[in-house]
Amino acid sequence: MICFKNVSFKYTGEKESLHDIDLTVKDGEVLLVCGASGCGKTTLIRCINGLIPHFYGGELKGNVTVNGEDVNKTSLRKISRKVGTVFQNPRSQFFNVDTTSELAFGCENFGISPEEIEKRIDHVVDHHDLASLMDRNIFKLSGGEKQKIACASIAVEPVDVIVLDEPSANLDHKGICELQKMIGAWKKEGKTIIIAEHRISYLLPYITRAVLMKKGRIEREYQAEKFRSIPEDRFHFMGMRAEGMTDPLEVNVDHDEKNSFNGDLILKNMRFAYRHEKPVFDIPELKIPVGEIVAITGTNGAGKSTFLRCMCGMERKCKAVLKAGNAEWNNKARRQKIYMVMQDVNHQLFTDSVLEEVMISQEKEDKEEALEILKKLDLSEFADRHPLSLSGGQKQRVAIASALAANRSIILFDEPTSGLDYAHMMQVSNILKLLKEAGKTVIIVTHDVELIKTACTYIIRFDKLLGTEKTD
Amino acid sequence: MKYSLDRNAHSFLDPRTKLLLLFTSSVFVVGNAGEKQMVVFYWILVFLPVLLLFAEREWKTGFAAIMIYVGSYLAGLALQHDLTALESALALMLYIITKILPTVILARYIVKSTKVSEFLAAMHRMHVSDKITIPVSVIFRFFPTVVEESKAINDAMRMRGVEFGAKKAAEAVEYRMVPLIASCSIIGEELSAAAMTRGLEVGKKRSCIWKIKFKFQDWIVTVFCLVCFIRWGIGWFYK
Repeated sequence: MICFKNVSFKYTGEKESLHDIDLTVKDGEVLLVCGASGCGKTTLIRCINGLIPHFYGGELKGNVTVNGEDVNKTSLRKISRKVGTVFQNPRSQFFNVDTTSELAFGCENFGISPEEIEKRIDHVVDHHDLASLMDRNIFKLSGGEKQKIACASIAVEPVDVIVLDEPSANLDHKGICELQKMIGAWKKEGKTIIIAEHRISYLLPYITRAVLMKKGRIEREYQAEKFRSIPEDRFHFMGMRAEGMTDPLEVNVDHDEKNSFNGDLILKNMRFAYRHEKPVFDIPELKIPVGEIVAITGTNGAGKSTFLRCMCGMERKCKAVLKAGNAEWNNKARRQKIYMVMQDVNHQLFTDSVLEEVMISQEKEDKEEALEILKKLDLSEFADRHPLSLSGGQKQRVAIASALAANRSIILFDEPTSGLDYAHMMQVSNILKLLKEAGKTVIIVTHDVELIKTACTYIIRFDKLLGTEKTD
Repeated sequence: MKYSLDRNAHSFLDPRTKLLLLFTSSVFVVGNAGEKQMVVFYWILVFLPVLLLFAEREWKTGFAAIMIYVGSYLAGLALQHDLTALESALALMLYIITKILPTVILARYIVKSTKVSEFLAAMHRMHVSDKITIPVSVIFRFFPTVVEESKAINDAMRMRGVEFGAKKAAEAVEYRMVPLIASCSIIGEELSAAAMTRGLEVGKKRSCIWKIKFKFQDWIVTVFCLVCFIRWGIGWFYK
């Protein structure tokens, strides 16, 4: 049983992030903690797994108990024997480089005998169908596979409570299905599960209760039946992503298929293969409409990132050519014409200030124009801030600003809405429309069904383009 | 497919042997200790790392290393007398490559072939405090992360046209380091939080699923390393 009594918490030097939380979670419950981003979900989770107050310092009032033990007075190591955690970012939750050791890691830390660990691993691998992922290098796995390993390594540990902090943020449709299965299996085993999420559809069949948080307080509590009957637009209003378990490959957008494109871009010879291997993709010709917002969906794992790199002209081995009107853009030309906003925007912000970030992209530095661009993207007040000190959404807008400053005609987005709640997703969607109005061609690689529905005017389904069958 | 964990699936050499070999290689190949008396040992230490890479099936890296080594060595031989300033600078560079490359290859082999938990267990047996071994093992874990992050940053820079030899060449180094440090420190913090929620703590006994055993080949390499040091010691006495 997990018990919060009058819990308030404030990170050192910040505003209070939890106020007066009273919450009891019985053994075997599956509790969904939902709410818009910044509502305190993650902080609540950290109070259960002991990262607050043992890792993230601050001012904690009231007390949290897990199976009768006060988290504040128990060491992290002792809590970790009862509570297992799955985090949001699959990149940073592995201590080992190979998958098998990662599965054993928790048990090894508890000093469980190797024979016993071996038995536990064999059991988990068997039950969750993981044989093909064993003895692999974690760095070579796709995001979905990494998250599967993260879940499996918690399953190997003898914990009763499992907390998950936005586990689906970086997953595609297939990955979410796998995660859903894992949670179902845990529920059957009688584990107590607490999940903080914006995306709720995949959890609906399993939850026993849901709490809605707002500004650090528990605003409402719902029994499962009641929660499931809430209509979709109401969920959106509450900040949640409510799209059903729809495969993005089956989504349609409103536009007349027969309508001819407004001056085509034609991507030719898009082919890439690692040596001695089957091609990752092989697309002889792909028409992309100019001046529209185009979604590319159905890509995953290595295929997706390679596709994007080839598209931007980063991959020497790919000899693709993009025909734009009379011009033909080879790799080098594409590097100068296309701008990609990466999934992790931290990688593309280099300078000391937002203004400088925009100005180094300009052909000829022009402060007036740079300020104008910042204004358009609602960034004026941040002109002198360090880009890395901004929030995720603001950083993304800075990257878009530098694309505008570089005067690129095609802007490519790699999963721009992963991990965003409904309001922030709508914000991105509006910016995409703004870019369209400015005459840019926007291409988005995404599996976010709601984004496709709200913003995109064309959709390209990747699986049908994969030429692997043809080449065999 | 039925899976069964193979706890004997460790690499060719024990982590302790690998460290002893790394130390020996630093002394005799990089440090050039013993000079002419150690010629036979020297050449064994130069080519052993490549053989170990082959044992891990890293054919491509192994052959590339041999080519670079032999190339630099031969070019170094050609550049011996009557050198211009530029040529002697080049000769110096080639010399440094032939000195350092074998040990770098050995280090690469160690990082690639040693499992983190295997390393922690082996060091524990040698009574090395985990105050040292846990941070070292994090460094192991971080190599691939740094490589992954720098590749992504490199792509971003090329896309912006900020490259060496292009505009803003001078700032290119700084531009590369800022996001690299920022993203590595975020990953580092998340990584330690994750490791702690899984019970990692300094000073607590942990178990290891991999069987750590000193095998026949470990004895051969250990004896070889000891012989190197003994031969060197004898050389000191009978100068």
